[in-house]
Amino acid sequence: MNNKYDVIVIGGGHNGLVNAAYLARAGKRVLVLERRYVLGGAAVTEEVFPGFKFSVCSYVVSLLRPEIIRELDLPRHGLEILPLDGTFTPMPNGDYLWRVNDHAKTRREIARHSKLDAEAYDEYGKAMVEMAHFVKPVMNMTPPDPASLNPKGLLDLLTMGRRFQKLSSDDKYNQVQLMTMSAVDFLDQWFETDVLKATMSASGIIGTFLGVRSPGTAYVLLHHYMGEIDGAFRSWGLSRGGTGAISNAIAEAAREAGAEIRTKTPIAKILLRNGEAKGVVLENGDEFYADVISSSVDPRLTFMKMVGEEHLPEDFVDDIKRYKFRGSSGKVNLALDALPDFKAMPGAGPHLRGAVSISPSVEYMERAYDDAKYGRFSRRPYIDMVIPSLTDPSVAPPGKHVMSCFVQYAPYNLKEGNWDEKREEFGDTVINTIAEHAPNIRDIILHRQVVTPLDLEREFGLSEGNIFQGELTLEQLFFLRPAPGWAQYRSPIKNLYMCGSATHPGGGIMGANGRNAAMMILRDKK
Amino acid sequence: MGTRDVIILGSGHNALVTAYYLAKAGLKPLVLERREVIGGACVTEEFHPGFRSSTLAGSTGPLLPQIVNDLQLQKYGVEFIKPAVKVCALNLNGPALSIYADARRTSEELASVSSRDSAKYPEFVTTFERIGRALRPLLTLTPPNIDAPSKRELWNLGKLGWAVRGLGKKDEYRLLRYGPMAVADLAAEWFETESLRAIVAARGIFGAFAGPWSAGTCGQVLLQAANDGSVIAPAAFVKGGMGALTQALAKAATEAGADIRTNAEVARIEVADGRVSKVVLSSGEELPAWTCVSSHDPGITILELLDLSEWDPGFRTKMQNYRAVGTVAKVHLALTALPDFLNTESANADCREKLSGRIHIGPEIDYLERAFDAAKYGEFSPQPYMDITIPTLTDSSLAPDGAHVMSIHAQFAPYGLRYAGLRPAGSGVAQESMPEACVPEAWDSRREELGDVIVNELSAYAPNLKKLIAGRRVLTPLDLERTYGLSGGHIHHGEMSLDQLFAFRPVIGYARYRTPIAGLYLCGSGTHPGGGVTGAPGFNASREILKDLKAG
Repeated sequence: MNNKYDVIVIGGGHNGLVNAAYLARAGKRVLVLERRYVLGGAAVTEEVFPGFKFSVCSYVVSLLRPEIIRELDLPRHGLEILPLDGTFTPMPNGDYLWRVNDHAKTRREIARHSKLDAEAYDEYGKAMVEMAHFVKPVMNMTPPDPASLNPKGLLDLLTMGRRFQKLSSDDKYNQVQLMTMSAVDFLDQWFETDVLKATMSASGIIGTFLGVRSPGTAYVLLHHYMGEIDGAFRSWGLSRGGTGAISNAIAEAAREAGAEIRTKTPIAKILLRNGEAKGVVLENGDEFYADVISSSVDPRLTFMKMVGEEHLPEDFVDDIKRYKFRGSSGKVNLALDALPDFKAMPGAGPHLRGAVSISPSVEYMERAYDDAKYGRFSRRPYIDMVIPSLTDPSVAPPGKHVMSCFVQYAPYNLKEGNWDEKREEFGDTVINTIAEHAPNIRDIILHRQVVTPLDLEREFGLSEGNIFQGELTLEQLFFLRPAPGWAQYRSPIKNLYMCGSATHPGGGIMGANGRNAAMMILRDKK
Repeated sequence: MGTRDVIILGSGHNALVTAYYLAKAGLKPLVLERREVIGGACVTEEFHPGFRSSTLAGSTGPLLPQIVNDLQLQKYGVEFIKPAVKVCALNLNGPALSIYADARRTSEELASVSSRDSAKYPEFVTTFERIGRALRPLLTLTPPNIDAPSKRELWNLGKLGWAVRGLGKKDEYRLLRYGPMAVADLAAEWFETESLRAIVAARGIFGAFAGPWSAGTCGQVLLQAANDGSVIAPAAFVKGGMGALTQALAKAATEAGADIRTNAEVARIEVADGRVSKVVLSSGEELPAWTCVSSHDPGITILELLDLSEWDPGFRTKMQNYRAVGTVAKVHLALTALPDFLNTESANADCREKLSGRIHIGPEIDYLERAFDAAKYGEFSPQPYMDITIPTLTDSSLAPDGAHVMSIHAQFAPYGLRYAGLRPAGSGVAQESMPEACVPEAWDSRREELGDVIVNELSAYAPNLKKLIAGRRVLTPLDLERTYGLSGGHIHHGEMSLDQLFAFRPVIGYARYRTPIAGLYLCGSGTHPGGGVTGAPGFNASREILKDLKAG
C-alpha cells in the first residue's frame, strides 16, 4: 500500500521539514504535505515580480540552531548564510545611530551619543552573553509539566533550578528582570541615549501585540546574543537566494534521508479511528495513512479545523480557543530601480548593507503601539528594512534591488474597515514614513507587494496573521505553549503531535521545535 | 548604647504593627514621626472646616486577621465598616453595575446584563477563593534567601507548593498562566460584560504605572485574592476614617511599651563599623540605636537617610533602578449634600446603598488603557480612572449633619509632568537625542487644573455636583512625596511589578527586611508583600528582627 507511511508531516515550513528530516534519518517512512505550490511556509522565497525574488515573510536568519545546520549538513545542501552587518537608525534631527558587528566601532559610535552608554555597552554585552548561556540549553529541552508528578519532569525542573542557583546573584536578577520587565525599563538600567534604547527595544516587540514599555518584552533582547555565542554567524544573517533557500536546503536533507515531499496538497481533515490519529484526507479526497501525524501548522488549524472540537476534551478546546494569536505586523516588499538615499547618511554606503531601522525614539515606538491597541495600523509605524540584493545580487536583476520592509503595528482586527480595503492605504503609510528619512524612495519603486496580517492568514495559514503561530508572551511560553499540560509536542489525540512554532521554544527560524518534536516522536515510537 | 535601643522611623500602619510586636517581645521601641500627626498614609485629616477624610488610604487591605486579634483592635475602639456593596460602576450610557459582597445577589444583578456572566460569576468567586486560600501563607512568609535558601525556607516554599498542588491541575495551570498575564486578558477570559471586565481589571492597575493591557498586572489581582479571597477589592472602611485605625494601633503599641514621638524628623542614619550606631534628627539631636527599623520607602531609607557610598555600591545601583513612579492623585470634596448619581434623586435608600461602597469610574478596558497612555508621555489623563468613596454614607462622624465627604482616587497622574522644551543634559548626551524631561515641580502650577478635570468628568455622572462643593483639596503625586514622604509619590512604596515582588522586593538579596547594614531593617510597603493596608510587611519584619536579636 503506497499511501501508508510511518509519519505524515502536515505543512512544509522550516519546522515541518526539520521534523521530517530527523524522522527520515531515523529510518521512518515520512511524507510531508504542503498546501502551497512552494515549500517553506513563512520561510519562503518567491519571484513575485519577474526577476525580483522576495523573502516574502521571514527575511533574516538569527536563531537557526547550529546543531541542526551541523546534523543535517545544510551547507552541503546549499545553505549559505551571508552576514547582515549592523543596524542603521536615522533620526529626525539629521543625526543617526549606526551599530555594526565590529564592537570597537559600535562603541565609538555610541560614545558619540553618550560616553556613559559606551561604557555600559560592554558590561551589557557581557551580562547578556551570560544570560544567553543560561537560556540556550532550554531551547533544546522538552518543557516539563510542573503539574504532573512525572519524575523525569520534576528532575528537569530541579536541574533548571540548580542551574539557576549556580548563577551569581546579579545574573539571577538579570534573568528574572529579562523574563518580566519591559524592554525599555530593562534598558533604562543601562543606557540613557533614547534612540539607542528605542532601536534595541524594537527587537522585543517583533511579532507581539506589545509595546516597548510592556512588561515581558525584555526577554527577546537575549536573542541577539544567542547567535553570537553559537558562533555559527553573528546575530543576524541573510540566506543566499532568500529565506526560502533555508527551507529548500532542509528539504534536500530530508529527501536525501528518504522523506517524500509533496506540494499543492491541502489537507481537509485529520482521520481518526477510536480517537486516535491514523491519517489525513486531502481537499481533493485523497487519503494517506500513518502511525504518526506531526502537524507543523498552528493549533487553531490543527485542532479546530483538521480534528474538530467534538473529538477533543473540553478544557483543551478552551485552552486552544484562548490561545492568543493577535497578529500585529505586516510586510511591504519593494522592487527598486535604485538605492534609497537617506538624509542622515547620503549615498550608497555600507550602512545600507545592514538593517535600516525606523525607530527614532522610545515615544515613537510606544505611540505606534497605541494606535494598534485601539484597532488601527500605526500612523507612523516601526519599520525594519533590509536590502538583500546588496549582499546577494542573485535576487534582483543587475542594477536593480529588492527591499524588504517589516512593519509593525498592523493589527489583524481593525476597528474600521477591513484589510482588503486598507491594504494600499497601509502600503502608502509605510512608503510615506520611509520617505521622511529617504525622500527619493517614491521615485525608485518599480513594484510594491503589501502583505497584511489577513494575507498572512490566507496565503500562509498563519491564524490572525501571527508570524510566530501565537504570541510569545510569558503565559504562552515553555510549559504553557501552546496549552498547559500539552507543551511536550503531544496532543490529546493519540499519535497526533505538534512540531510548529506554536510549541516550545516558539517562533523564528530556529528549527528547534521540529527537532525537539522529532525526538519526542522517536522516543514514544521506539 | 544597649542592644535594646530600637528606633522605628515613621509611624504608618506598618511601623506601628512592628512597634507593637517588638514591644510585646520586651523591647522598648521608639517610634519617630516627622509630622505632627501619626499614621503616615493612613490618616484622617480635616481638609475643610468640619469635614474630615482619610487623606490617602481610604480602605483597609483588609488588615491581617492575626494583627486584628493580637492587638485587640476592637478593644481600642476600631470599628470596621463593610458595606453590602463592594463597588458600583457608573456608566454614562446605561445603568450602573453593582458588585455586592454577596455573590448570589451579584449574580442576580448581572442577570439583567448578561445571563452568561451571571452564571459564571459564582464560579469566578469560588475559584479565586480557592486560589487565594492556597496563596495566603505567602503573605506572612519571609522571602527566601535566593543565593542560599535555608532548609526551613525550602520547607516553607515546599509547603506552599504543596498547597498549590492541592488545588488540582486546572487551578495550577490557571495560576501559572495568570501570574505573568495582563489583567485585561483575565477579565475577558471570564466575562463578556465590558463594565464588569473593567471592574476586575481596575484592581490590577490600582496605584500602578501600568494599564490593563500591561503584562503582569494579574499579579496584584492575585495578591488581592490572597488577601481577602476575592479579586474585586472590598470596601473596608474604618469608623472615623483610616486615622482611627492607626490611632488604635498606636494605643496598642504604647500600652505594650513602645514610645512615640511626633515632630521628630530624621536627618540621617549613622553607621559605625558596618552597624547602625545612631539616628540623627534634623534638630541635631542624636539618638543611639542598636537596631533601626525604617517604615519609609526603600528610596528614602537607602538613598537619602544613609550614606551608602562606602557600603556595597552594587546595592545602591540596584536601589537607584528600583521603580517608584507614582500615578495617583487624590481629591477630597466637601459637599453640602449627596450629589445626584445614577440619574436619580440620591436621597432614596437603594441609591444610598449602591453608593456606600467604592464607586468605580472607568466603563471599559479601553477607557482604563487610554487613561494610562497619557501617563506614559508625562501627561495626566484627560479622562481619568477613578475609585471614589463617600464615607459619610456609612460614617456621619466625618462631616456636619446632612453634608458629605467625597474622596477620589484618580489615575493616571504621573509623578513627573512633561515640561515642553526642557531636556535633561545627561552626561555628555547630545541633548536633542534625549526626550523632553518630566518634572514633578510642574505640578505646582497645574494642581488645580487636575482638580478641575476630575470634577468636570465627575459632573457628567452627577450633574449637580459642582453646586454642592463647599471645599476641595487636591493632592498630586508631588504632594504625596512632600507631605507624606512617599518618594516618587508612589502609594505602594514602589511599583508592584513581577520584578519587584516577593524575593525581589525591594531588590534581590535584600528582600528579607534586612539591609547591607547590620541592625538596619525595612518594614514598609517597599518590602514583601507590598502596599495596601494589610500590616503584613510590618508583621513579617518584626518576626525577622526578633529572630536576629535572639541570635545576638
